[in-house]
Amino acid sequence: MSHHLFLLSPSDTPLYTLTHYSTKPTPSVTSPLSANLPNWSTSAFAGTLTALSGASSATHHTTGGGVRMGGGQDRHVIQMIANASLDAIEDAMRKENLMYLKTVDKFNEWTISAFITPGNMKFVLLHEGKNDDGIRQFFVEVWELYVKTMLNPFHTAHTIIRSPVFDTRVRASAKKYL
Amino acid sequence: MDTHAFASLAHVRILLMPVGVISQSKFENYASEIRTFESIRLGDIPADQKDERARFMPNPLSTGHLQLSFPTHPPPRSHLPLSLLRPSHFPLAVIGVAACTQTDSLSSIYAQFNASLLDIFPSEGIYPLAKNCFVFEESDDTNLNLSDNLPGLVVLPNMMGNKKLYIGTLLADLCSQIIGEFGVVIQALESPMGNEYLNSSSMPVIPPLSEIPSPLNGMKDSLPPLPSHHSQTDMNKSGFALSAAPNIKRTSSGPGFRSSNLNTPLARKRLSSIGVTSSHARLFKVLGDLFLLSGRPDDAMVWYSEALLLFKTSQDFAWHGAALEGAATVLIIEAWSAGHGLQHSATSMREPWTDVSEKLTQATALYYRSPTTDGEPNYSLLAYLYSSCVLRHSSLLFAVWSAKGWGPLAFTTMLQPGPTPYLPPTLSRDEGNDWAVLERLSSISGISRSSIASVLAQLHGPWLLHLGPRERVAILEAMSSLYSCLGYRRKEAYILREVLGCILDLIVCGREEDGLSRMSSVPGTAGLGFQNLNSSNLGGNYSGVGVRLSDSTDGNESILNLLKYVCKVLGINLDAVRLVDVNQDQLLHNSPAPVFYDDSEEDNYELYGWPELQVGVVREAVAVAEALPDFPAVAQFALSALKTLKPALSTGDQHHLYSTSSRALAIARRRGDAKSVEYWSGRPIISITVAPLPLVRLPIEKPISALKPRMSDITPILTGATDPFLYNPRKTAAAQGKILAVQNEILEFVVLLKNPYIFDLELESISLSTSGVSFDTKSLRVFIPANSIHEVVLSGKPLEIGTLIIRGCFVQAPGGASREFTLPLSTNEEQERRAKSRSILACEIGRFKYSGFEFLPWEKYSRGKLKQPVQSKSTIIPPRFLECKVVPEQPLLRIRRTSVTHGAVMLYDGEMSTLRITLENVSALPIDFLRLAFDDSTIAPAQQALAEGDLSVFDTYETEHGLIHRPVFSWNKDEARQILPGQKLTLSVTCVGKVGCTNGTIHFSYSHVHRHQLTLDAPPQLFHTRQLSYPVVVTVYHMLECYGMNILPFPSHPSDDTKAFDASGKDGGDLHLGDETNWCLFSIEVRNTYGLPFEVSFDRAQEGTLPLTITRTVPPGSMSRIVIPLKKFILSEEQLSQPIPTLSDRQFVVQKSKLSDSEANIQRELFWYREELFKHVRSRWRESGGIRSGNLSLRQQRMTSPMLDTIRMTKSRIDMSLVSYSNSSTEDTPITYRSGKYYPRTDEFVYLRIKVTNLSPSSWIFTVDLAMEPLEHVVHEGVLIDLTVGELKSGQSREVEIALCFLACGRFEIFAEAKAFQPLRLDRKAGVGKLVAIVQGINT
Repeated sequence: MSHHLFLLSPSDTPLYTLTHYSTKPTPSVTSPLSANLPNWSTSAFAGTLTALSGASSATHHTTGGGVRMGGGQDRHVIQMIANASLDAIEDAMRKENLMYLKTVDKFNEWTISAFITPGNMKFVLLHEGKNDDGIRQFFVEVWELYVKTMLNPFHTAHTIIRSPVFDTRVRASAKKYL
Repeated sequence: MDTHAFASLAHVRILLMPVGVISQSKFENYASEIRTFESIRLGDIPADQKDERARFMPNPLSTGHLQLSFPTHPPPRSHLPLSLLRPSHFPLAVIGVAACTQTDSLSSIYAQFNASLLDIFPSEGIYPLAKNCFVFEESDDTNLNLSDNLPGLVVLPNMMGNKKLYIGTLLADLCSQIIGEFGVVIQALESPMGNEYLNSSSMPVIPPLSEIPSPLNGMKDSLPPLPSHHSQTDMNKSGFALSAAPNIKRTSSGPGFRSSNLNTPLARKRLSSIGVTSSHARLFKVLGDLFLLSGRPDDAMVWYSEALLLFKTSQDFAWHGAALEGAATVLIIEAWSAGHGLQHSATSMREPWTDVSEKLTQATALYYRSPTTDGEPNYSLLAYLYSSCVLRHSSLLFAVWSAKGWGPLAFTTMLQPGPTPYLPPTLSRDEGNDWAVLERLSSISGISRSSIASVLAQLHGPWLLHLGPRERVAILEAMSSLYSCLGYRRKEAYILREVLGCILDLIVCGREEDGLSRMSSVPGTAGLGFQNLNSSNLGGNYSGVGVRLSDSTDGNESILNLLKYVCKVLGINLDAVRLVDVNQDQLLHNSPAPVFYDDSEEDNYELYGWPELQVGVVREAVAVAEALPDFPAVAQFALSALKTLKPALSTGDQHHLYSTSSRALAIARRRGDAKSVEYWSGRPIISITVAPLPLVRLPIEKPISALKPRMSDITPILTGATDPFLYNPRKTAAAQGKILAVQNEILEFVVLLKNPYIFDLELESISLSTSGVSFDTKSLRVFIPANSIHEVVLSGKPLEIGTLIIRGCFVQAPGGASREFTLPLSTNEEQERRAKSRSILACEIGRFKYSGFEFLPWEKYSRGKLKQPVQSKSTIIPPRFLECKVVPEQPLLRIRRTSVTHGAVMLYDGEMSTLRITLENVSALPIDFLRLAFDDSTIAPAQQALAEGDLSVFDTYETEHGLIHRPVFSWNKDEARQILPGQKLTLSVTCVGKVGCTNGTIHFSYSHVHRHQLTLDAPPQLFHTRQLSYPVVVTVYHMLECYGMNILPFPSHPSDDTKAFDASGKDGGDLHLGDETNWCLFSIEVRNTYGLPFEVSFDRAQEGTLPLTITRTVPPGSMSRIVIPLKKFILSEEQLSQPIPTLSDRQFVVQKSKLSDSEANIQRELFWYREELFKHVRSRWRESGGIRSGNLSLRQQRMTSPMLDTIRMTKSRIDMSLVSYSNSSTEDTPITYRSGKYYPRTDEFVYLRIKVTNLSPSSWIFTVDLAMEPLEHVVHEGVLIDLTVGELKSGQSREVEIALCFLACGRFEIFAEAKAFQPLRLDRKAGVGKLVAIVQGINT
């Protein structure tokens, strides 16, 4: 089961991204509809479509069998989904007063949870399974790490986070909770 | 295109089909006329059939409506398996629309109609159930043979008044036919055979109705086949039909079915008895569908609930779902008919749509789970059913949401979506419906947008790939429209990308299948290993763009607009570089609007959006535009991306985009495309400066008054570096004066260009943009190396006199349009403006007040939250530009030859030599003004020393004297003459060796002053000169040094020691010394530090003496002392009272040293006597055995007070003599006098006679003091102090006598000192005298 974490600045620019593969198996709720997909493309544009519709990961799943490690998932599509989920996140942000937006959106096979910091940073997590509590704790921990990073006076809300310490700690907490 | 209206299950589809020759606009015209009938009242439908066809016929008094929809496209043949599962998906009737002109005949139209029907509809299908052809008469004079009376062909005459009414009637007739046919169809299905067909597979296909009975009958009853339209059995009698003759016409139960809700329990019982093999669930469902179509929702509901009961136990997911959908539709139809035209007053506990929504949710789940394991290739159909079900569900929620709740408006939207199905009337068309508006809808309707979106999101999944391309596009379109209306723009963009992918796939594949470029990778031959592209290589390697046979560009614009929209949502402005029309380019060129372009926005680039996504989408956009192909758009996209996304682009991407754009532009140009891109790469120009003219050509502006002879002749050389004012605004203003350029001569500009990209930027042309006088310039083609700042030189010729304004540059990228970049001077206002805008931007940077879309720059500006740094009109200051003053043509001079070899002159100190310089006029203008000015390396230090003002007055004078009277170079002004074009002139310049001079420059200033006046205007107050410089390297050997100047008193005892005098000079005898006391000796030491012997001559030229020259040869390395007698002199008081003059006219020279008056007097005296001395003594040198000679300067020598005392002639002269009076006689007898000494006797009275002569030019009162040594041996009369002499006029003398008696033998010395008085003045040492007496005894 894979998780994709994006830390988005207020201008929707990813400041930090993390792809985490947990050992938990992917819950397989596949529809017969997504089986037996054509595995050829008539043109490269159809390839775009294949990727965006989520078919490429689905076919990978069926043909590869076993535990999918997210290798067949297209990074670009993941990012598109994360970006598109901002619509729902912004909507929820405006209406609710919560920092942790649990399962705020669903797209293709992905569930999107988000965490909004008071500084308008958005932590977006794409995940497949249900793990509300773990995700919440993970978010809180990432937030703490982020706040520590922000204490750096040279760090603005738009600075890309390159700190290796931040990275290792986020990975550790992802391992712990996800 | 299909519209996914919610109530599409209840729509009777009637296909509108063009027949014969009919233009599209006409067809659309007629079609829209027909389409005005969205529904037909059941009461209007003629129900005259009496047989089984009457089963679905409406009651004449029923109030329901038949919903109609008029597609113009039939569903694809692949959807045929849906024909029973979803009858509403198919056109139940066909209306041919034909336009009839004079030449057409009805029969041919009819034949065409039938032929195209056969084309469209497969023979194995059961639809259409009815058909009609409407022939619209185009003009009155058609000669249609109306008597033909073809069935299914109606002519609508042109003259017909109420055409609409007629069409309505016709449609009602057609509907009547359809409803009648429903009865026929259901009758076939009710037969056991039909039911078997129905249950044969999950998507059964029923053969043409004509074929059903025959196997049925042949198998069971072996009855002869009957004509199809007679072979139906009635449902009520189906029990009999199995046994009894099927051709018994059922007439009795027809009317009974008008109110079928009475009969349904019966029917169910009957039917259940038939089903031996299969359940009747599907049959009931079909019944429900048909009743729904016939506008009888009550009946439909009954049958649906029957069917649902049965489906619950079966595993027939697809049919179960379809039944649920139908039931849901029924609910809405009922609600519509109940509330149609009435005010909605639902006060139920639950939201009224919950029921519908639940049904649809259930149906969705059923479709989702429906197995496809039976090997049937029905994935696409199932996916289609699933998608349309989800879409139905979302459109239900959407309709309720957008209609502000459950009410008539919502029902109408669901039933008859109208021409803009996805734009509800509550929302406006322009994008960016405010969040508040959307949320208001949510709060009114009680449906949150996110719930609609989450329902809609179920639609999206891999199964979309199963769909046929047309359905896929339609569904994705619907989806994106819904997202758009919900305000979910990012999701919309996501879907739109898929839409684009679909469309482009179709375009590309369609192109490949045109027969010329068929690729082996066309679907169907998948075994050949066509790679499964995923989007990781998006855009990079789209291959196989086929040949385009038809050059239709319809729709390209829309695709590009979609692309732009998608990119804009992701924060890329693809319109950042605008497209311009090449043909209008010239116009633009002529009327350039001032573009004030701030580079500040480039400096403060702020990331927004998702860079990785942006890059991917841009690459895709470029690929899409390339595939269309629309080359200007390709270039536009690529360049816009380069311009706006530069920080996010990798080097590879930059290269790719740049090469793509340049290729596309080249192709566009080759194809003669009228569009091109404007200049894109930010602001390429950093600065423009005028390349300084070579000094030879530089004109120098002078006022014409400079030509007039000057009154005060202050040598400008002394005023050189100093300016008495610390701050002189005139001077700075003059320094900033306009740059001068010469008419018809090349003027060069240095332009700094920058290229921030990592590829070499090519500029097809760069040229200067000027205004003012006409300027002849050429454009230049430039390559700017990657990531660097590049300097180019643009040159041109000003053609007129006046002011030339350089506004900036025209820059044109290859294939693009040219653009002007202005470059205002960085004046204070300009700096201020820039600083202001920069600080406004800087203020915004790093903020996170606005997030998401509001952060995008265009949003920020459009909202007006961020004020554009624009000044109001009134305060705007027009920027100033670089200006050049173009002056008239100037002559040009050059040095033809000089007498100086290698430009170097070697001189001894003080030597004088002459340089000859030949000038040539190489221009076409005469030169009538020529001046020479000189500069050498001694001038600057001297000037600086003067400027510092630390020198004493004396030193100042010396320095100034050196500058003015001993210049290194000088010339004779009279040599300057007019030089005609092509003529030469030779000038000689005198050069004097001056120690310390290492180099010098000769400046020739020349001009053509006296020009022809072309007009009668006042002559200009200015003229211009040019300067030609000739540098000379000067080497001066310092070979003779003078020092130790001294002035000694003339020895007073020459007779004692005449030999010494002889030794000092052989001419000693010729000295013609008069009175010794009037003379002194001038001595100086001359040392030869050079390697050659020199002859040194000192000349004496003194008034009242004979000229005297003393010459010595000074050998190398040795020193000679030269002594020359000088007559003492005295300077008048007036002369001495003058201060030490300053040669320059410097003011404000404050005496630094605080000297007392007496000290100042002494200094003045020293100065003036020294000056006088140097007038009298001149020195020269000559090379021994050579011809070189020169002056030896004595000005290094200082004069001291003792020297002054020596050289100065005293005021008075004192002559003393000893006389004796012999025994009171008045006759005196002189005492023996020998060689300066007197020999008086002891103890004898002698008289000392003191004669005082006033030598000064004025009259003084003198006294004399006497001193004697040894005094104790002298007896004298009276006092020795202050012996009064009295006033003496100039030249007058007077004697004073005093009696003495020497008391001892020996040598006595008597000194006399005169003191001179004037009122208030006293000179203590006005003269001295000395007398030596050797006193002898009387006896000796």
